Amino acid sequence: MKQFSYCIQDKNGMHARPAGALANCAKRYTSSIKVSANGKSADAKRLLSLMSLGAVYGSELTFCIEGEDEALAAETLRAFCQNGFQPVSSSDKE
Amino acid sequence: MEIDHQASTVLRGTGISNGRNAGPLKFFQRAGVKASYTQTASDAAREWSRLEQACKESAERISALYQQALRTVGKEEAEIFAIHGMLIEDEDFLDALKEAVKDGKSAELALEEAVSRFSKMLEELNDPYLSARAADLRDVAAHIRRTLAGEEAINTHSSREPFLLVADDLSPSETVMLEKSMILGFVTFGGTPNSHTAILARAMGIPALVGVGEIDAIHDGAYALLDAADGTLTLYPTAEEQALFAQKQRRDDRIAQEHDRYLRGLMNKPAVTRSGHRVLIYANIGDTDEVRAALANGADGIGLLRSEFLYLGTTDYPSEERLFTAYREIAEAMEGRRAVIRTLDIGADKRIPYFGLPEEENPALGFRAIRICLSREGLFKTQLRAILRASAFGSLSLMLPMIVSLDEVRQSKRLLEECKEELLREGQTFDPELELGIMIETPAAAIMSRELAKEVSFFSVGTNDLTQYTLAADRQNPSLARLCDENREPVLRLIKMAADAIHESGGWIGICGEMAADLHLTQAFADMRIDELSVSVPYLLGLRGKVTECR
Repeated sequence: MKQFSYCIQDKNGMHARPAGALANCAKRYTSSIKVSANGKSADAKRLLSLMSLGAVYGSELTFCIEGEDEALAAETLRAFCQNGFQPVSSSDKE
Repeated sequence: MEIDHQASTVLRGTGISNGRNAGPLKFFQRAGVKASYTQTASDAAREWSRLEQACKESAERISALYQQALRTVGKEEAEIFAIHGMLIEDEDFLDALKEAVKDGKSAELALEEAVSRFSKMLEELNDPYLSARAADLRDVAAHIRRTLAGEEAINTHSSREPFLLVADDLSPSETVMLEKSMILGFVTFGGTPNSHTAILARAMGIPALVGVGEIDAIHDGAYALLDAADGTLTLYPTAEEQALFAQKQRRDDRIAQEHDRYLRGLMNKPAVTRSGHRVLIYANIGDTDEVRAALANGADGIGLLRSEFLYLGTTDYPSEERLFTAYREIAEAMEGRRAVIRTLDIGADKRIPYFGLPEEENPALGFRAIRICLSREGLFKTQLRAILRASAFGSLSLMLPMIVSLDEVRQSKRLLEECKEELLREGQTFDPELELGIMIETPAAAIMSRELAKEVSFFSVGTNDLTQYTLAADRQNPSLARLCDENREPVLRLIKMAADAIHESGGWIGICGEMAADLHLTQAFADMRIDELSVSVPYLLGLRGKVTECR
């Protein structure tokens, strides 16, 4: 099992767009991916479930990933979080 | 609110997008869906298949709306329909429907129950933004409900005369499906500046007023003045009010025209300071799609193509052919204008799983960019070969990131020569004069710029990294933002040092970091005789204007 935490930096919290992007990212892996925050737990592959966490700015998200591709999933999701809830892309700054 | 016929009445709300328009009010009519339906069903399998079919058809409608929104309001605003598409396929939502029909409920009742359960869940969250998503769920449910009832899509409101549309609130689907050409403005009883009607109206540039409170449908057809700038709706305006309003509209038009003319006038004019120094205005782009936007905004060239996009979103290294095709497409689209391709800059914060790079304590000072490329020659040469081959189709330049030493430049040049020899042997064409440059983003590169300038044709300053490495301060750290903003002088001196060095050896220098877009610095850059400033597309025209105002 892989586990990591991430504190939400976006002042809008985890609203629909980032939650949708997160679900899409999580769906690419076969591992079971659970996210918990505020004492609630959600399936990272399900949009409504993620939105039901009501995670806001400053909420700590804890990811628990278990399955065959857990290492890759954990690495990608961590990068996804650190990149402000966007797929790691070329929107870097020089 | 009681509104006296004939007497002028002013209603207040929150204005969205700053327009003004006058016209008759038209109340939005929703195509009614039969309110009554059977609550129970004996054949659970049949109810489930009705729901499945309705969800499938609704998903198709939503996807069509997404495409429509993409064309009319752009990708960012269209995104809400992608969310709708995800909601309709959400497994929690589908599970709730399935459970309900299993319990003997009809498809219709199952839908109502599931929607009310999940919208209640969203509304109870202590976050106004998430609570507002309950409206999206209801919008999705409306599609399914209509499909279940076998009804066609919602009303598109045809009218021969332009009107101000009045509604209690509009769902995103309703907003996008409206025939825009006849709509002078939106007025909604409820809604907030964050509602999708507001967001879409803003994107479509249609004036809107939200949260005005209920207006009786008896006023359908009444002439009114919608002033989104002032946040007012005036019903039955007096002649005097109408005249004043028309005057404001004329003023708006004049200002918009002047601004338009000013920007259009700048588009095809070289950016030259008053003392005669020409500055090339280039664009920073992250993928091939942005080339067109850059050209439409008058870019003289591409100052920074971040080549990472071809390595992201895949599970394995892209082939030379794939890279070549993308670079060639850019080279051709630029029609002879220069396009600077920066070689792979990954590592640090930009990680790609299949590269299999170990985690680092301090990625900004770690194994990244040219350091990776020089240790993995195969990877680097694939990219170099692709760029060389594409150089036969336009005016490409090659730029190396994160340089700190002469040795790195010489090693890269050796690999480039090897690639050229290979291509010659294979009979492939390329531009033998392909211009080579380096990024100046480390203090070491700036300090060694005299020596480095002898090896390359140009420099491009990455001011974000140069600032971070010069001040030993992470710019993303909010508590250090002021430190960075207040200490530009050391960075500017390093830039000056690099500019003097490359000019002395006959080359040119550009700036592609965030500082390039800072109009307070444009004069300082003109004074250093910076040859090129590269900024993201939205800043192109403003920067061009600023350069012409410089001494």
